[in-house]
Amino acid sequence: MRHLSQPVPHTIPPRALLTSGLVLAALAAVWSALVLTAPVDRMQGVVQKILYVHVPCAFSAYLGFGLTAIAGALYLARNDERFDRLAAAAAEVGVLFCSLNILSGPIWAKATWGHWWAWDPRLTVTLLLWFVYLAYLLLRSFTEGSDRTARFAAVYGILGATAMPLNYFAIDLFGGAAMHPENLERGSLGAGMGWPFAAAIAVGFAAFVHLLLLRVDLAARHTAAELAAQERDFAR
Amino acid sequence: MNVLLAVLWKDLTIELRSRDRVVAMVVFSLLVVMVFHLSLPADTRDTAPGLLWIAYVFAALLGLGRSFSLELENDAVSGIALAPADRGWVFLGKAAANWIILSAVQAVTALVFALVFDLDLMAVAGRLAGVVALSSVGLCAIGTLSAAVAVRTRFREVMLPLLMLPLLWPVLSGAVHATRQLLTSGSLSFEPIQFLIVTDGIYLIVSFLVFEYILDE
Repeated sequence: MRHLSQPVPHTIPPRALLTSGLVLAALAAVWSALVLTAPVDRMQGVVQKILYVHVPCAFSAYLGFGLTAIAGALYLARNDERFDRLAAAAAEVGVLFCSLNILSGPIWAKATWGHWWAWDPRLTVTLLLWFVYLAYLLLRSFTEGSDRTARFAAVYGILGATAMPLNYFAIDLFGGAAMHPENLERGSLGAGMGWPFAAAIAVGFAAFVHLLLLRVDLAARHTAAELAAQERDFAR
Repeated sequence: MNVLLAVLWKDLTIELRSRDRVVAMVVFSLLVVMVFHLSLPADTRDTAPGLLWIAYVFAALLGLGRSFSLELENDAVSGIALAPADRGWVFLGKAAANWIILSAVQAVTALVFALVFDLDLMAVAGRLAGVVALSSVGLCAIGTLSAAVAVRTRFREVMLPLLMLPLLWPVLSGAVHATRQLLTSGSLSFEPIQFLIVTDGIYLIVSFLVFEYILDE
C-alpha cells in the first residue's frame, strides 16, 4: 500500500516521448531503405537479411535484462519507486525483444543450418535468459503489495544476472559445439552489409528506448491513478 | 553464527519429530525412479546421470516448498525476522537444514536407483557422494531463496519451480557432467568440481546478501 504523503510519481514529459518516437521513425525509414538495397548473400540468399532483425533484437534484449538488474539493485539501495518502475519496464521490453530474437532465429536456422533448433551455446544462454525474465514478470504479477513485489522482483533480477555468466561458463565447459559465428571479430560481415547492420542496431536501440519510455510513463500514470483513487476514498 | 545454528537446530528438530518431509520426499523420489524404469529401455547407462538428477530435483522441489510454508503457520516468520542478527544467517541456517534433509533423501534414492537400473555404484560411492553433496549446496542455496519468495506469492506451488529451475541450470549441468564422468569412466576431472565450487560460492554469497530484502516483514 502506498501512503498518501508520498509525492505524485514522475511521468515522462510528452516532448521526450515525441522526440524518441520521431527518432525511431526516422531511423526505421533509413533502416528499411538500407536493408532493401543491401547485397544478397551469395551462399544463404535473401534469408540472410533476417540478420538485420535478429541481431538488433538480441542486443536490445541483453540491454533490457542488464538494466533490470541494475535498476533492481538501485531500488534496493535507494528505496525509490522510480527505479522499480524502470526495472519492470526494462524486463517487459527485454522479454519482448528476446521473444522476437528467439522467433526470428529458427527461420534463419532452418534455411542455413537445416534445423529449426540447435543446442548452440549462445542459443541456450538466450533461451535461459528468456525463462529467467519470464519468471521475473510472472513473479511480479503473482506477488501482492507494491513494496513486496518490487523487493522480490529486484532480488530475482539480481539473481538472474548472476546466473548468466555461470550459464555461459557451464556451456563453455560441458556444452556442445558452437553454431553461431564468432562475430565479435572484424570482417565477419560481407561487403556492403556494414551500414545496413549499423542502421539495424541503431533502430533496435531506438525502439528499445521508445518502448521503455512509454512503459515507464504508463507505470507512472498507473501509480498516479491509484493514488488519486485512494485520496478520493479517503476524502469520502 | 548462533542464529545459523539455532535455525538449523530448530528445523532439524521439527523434522526429527514429525519426519513428514523426509518421508514424503523419499516416497516421491522412489516413485519417480519407478516411472523412469517403466518408461525407459533397460539399458540406461547414458541417461542414468540425468535421470538421477531429475529425481533429486523433483524431491528437492517438494521439500523446499515445505521449508517456508512451515514458517507461515502462526506467523512464525515474523519471529524469525526479529532475530538480532543479519538475516543472511537465517538463510544459511535454513539452507543447511534443507541440505541435510535433502542429502538423506538423496542417499536412499541413489541406493534404490542403483538396484533398479543395475548400476554398480559401490566403486565410486565416496566420490559420487562428494559430487552430490557439493552440487546440492548450490541447489539448496537457490532453492531456499526461491522457496522464501515463492511461498509468499499466489500460486506458490507453481512459482517455486518457475523461479528455481532457470537459475539452477549451471549447477545441474555441472552436477550431471560430473556424475556422468563417474558412472561411465569411474574417474573425475577437476573442471566440473572447480565449476561447482565457484557456482556454489557465488550463489551462497549473493543469496546471503539479498535475503535481508526477502525477510523484510
